[in-house]
Amino acid sequence: MATEAIRSPKAAAGPASMPIRRKAPIQWLPYLLLLPSLALVGVIEFYPFISGASYSLHKGNLLNTGAFVGLQNYQRLFGSTDFYHSLWFSFLFAFFNVLFSYLIGLALALFLNLDFPGRGLCRVLLLLPWIVPAVVSIVSWKWLIADRGGLVNVLLGDLHLGPIYFLSESGWAMVAVIVIKIWRSFPFMMLSLLAALQVIDKTLYEAARIDGANHWQMFWHITMPHLKNISIVQAILMVIWSINDFETPFLLTQGGPSNATENLILLAYRYTFGRNDVGRGSAVALLTLVVLTVLATFMMRQQRKIA
Amino acid sequence: MRSNRRWLLLLVGLVIIFIVDFPILTVALNSFRTTENILSSRSILPVQPTLANYAYVSTRTHFWAFLVNSAVVASLSTVLGIVLAGLAGFALSRFRARILGSYNQMLLLVQMFPLILAIIPLFIFFRRLGLVNSFLPVVLVYTVTQLPFATWMLRSYFDSIPRDLDEAAIVDGASPMRAFVQIILPLTLPGIAAVSIFSFLFSYNEFFISSVFLRDENRMTMPVGIQSFMQQYGTDWGSLMASATLGMIPTLILFFCIQRYMVSGATAGAVKG
Repeated sequence: MATEAIRSPKAAAGPASMPIRRKAPIQWLPYLLLLPSLALVGVIEFYPFISGASYSLHKGNLLNTGAFVGLQNYQRLFGSTDFYHSLWFSFLFAFFNVLFSYLIGLALALFLNLDFPGRGLCRVLLLLPWIVPAVVSIVSWKWLIADRGGLVNVLLGDLHLGPIYFLSESGWAMVAVIVIKIWRSFPFMMLSLLAALQVIDKTLYEAARIDGANHWQMFWHITMPHLKNISIVQAILMVIWSINDFETPFLLTQGGPSNATENLILLAYRYTFGRNDVGRGSAVALLTLVVLTVLATFMMRQQRKIA
Repeated sequence: MRSNRRWLLLLVGLVIIFIVDFPILTVALNSFRTTENILSSRSILPVQPTLANYAYVSTRTHFWAFLVNSAVVASLSTVLGIVLAGLAGFALSRFRARILGSYNQMLLLVQMFPLILAIIPLFIFFRRLGLVNSFLPVVLVYTVTQLPFATWMLRSYFDSIPRDLDEAAIVDGASPMRAFVQIILPLTLPGIAAVSIFSFLFSYNEFFISSVFLRDENRMTMPVGIQSFMQQYGTDWGSLMASATLGMIPTLILFFCIQRYMVSGATAGAVKG
């Protein structure tokens, strides 16, 4: 492997700004610098990944590895409604999260791009849902939507509308989890889109205005094309984070009621730590990785087509 | 733009902020109300403010232990992460080698990994070593999760220092490492500080990994502790609100320190959505 490093010759020579290259026999420094990081990542992610794959082929629990069962865990998963439900919910969650956090993020980014006093402060305060620890937000939301005494239901009661049992009815629980996730996610979209908006050349808008374009035309033909690339990249990231999200559903509902709000990660968690079935838990986790890889590849291909 | 319109926009902004941040606002306000008042009151501001919740959380729960644990875990993983990321970032910035290119791609893949796939074997492994309730696995996993972002950020800070500077030192006889420590590092200190705070923030907020490993009450970090309160004292809203408010104060302080660095989604990788 040819490596170039900047090494000092023994004798002083040459102007300081000219790099002095010399092919020394072994360029060990870059490898040495990367070694600690590589070692840690290898031990913490790579080796467990292999282990996890192996566990998924066995029928073990948290104490024993158990007998080798080949693909049996996978076969049982493909026949279980729990698995299909968690797959379905993961997609639902990711889809609505990305869609609405993008729309809200875009709207607020356009707003914050306008010139008004205190907009810096507004930007900072609008980032809070994303910054505040999940537990803290969810304590608050749990009270807001509590069955009895929660603010939403108290107000509904005042309007003589029946209470909505957000956390005890499957349908509403799914809605609640998704809405809260959107609330926590939109600032990220807003921030990225705002940064992209701020580098758009203002003279483009002026020229368009002189040509008689209205606001909608300017938005659609100037703003959106400039946002295309960043939008797709952030959407891909957001999909990956959504599928991997453990905190939001777990803290709010533990995956209930009756596993309605269980996504793939919660399912893997329940099998492993709830049912002590490491084989099936690892199988779900591995399948999640497969799903993510397929999704990411697909989305990146779309990105290349569009960009 | 007419002056009136600009102030109107600010007003609109404040209204939006009130709506969006309402849950966060109410956590703080409710912490000063008793549980009964929380369940029945309809006013925004507490009518009979009280510090009883704080007194209870302070004296009758392990809450301060949770905060200390969080601080320890977050500090250790941040220090370790910055050191490793600094070395790797320096390598990526100043050297050329094929391994460095693939290292970048590997970091990207690591970002995508569903953590639970690694957590299951890690849990079993550390359990066999009797290290389940220790900080070690948590610190190590946090470090790894932060590595891609920190390496990337530090590398770009190092890139912004002109090579002429360290090359001049090298011509004068210094080794690359010495040039790194004595020239590049001092100049990038503000950037390093910012990345450190981001890392700390992520580790402090994190729930999943801590909850898997730290199950003993006196080892729990703040998020895990508050979650255990939710399980145990599910309807004691007063205490829950008080502990949640206390829990978010360090986050808010750190955030306001670094918020001016958050000018683009580029910095988003640290505080995962």
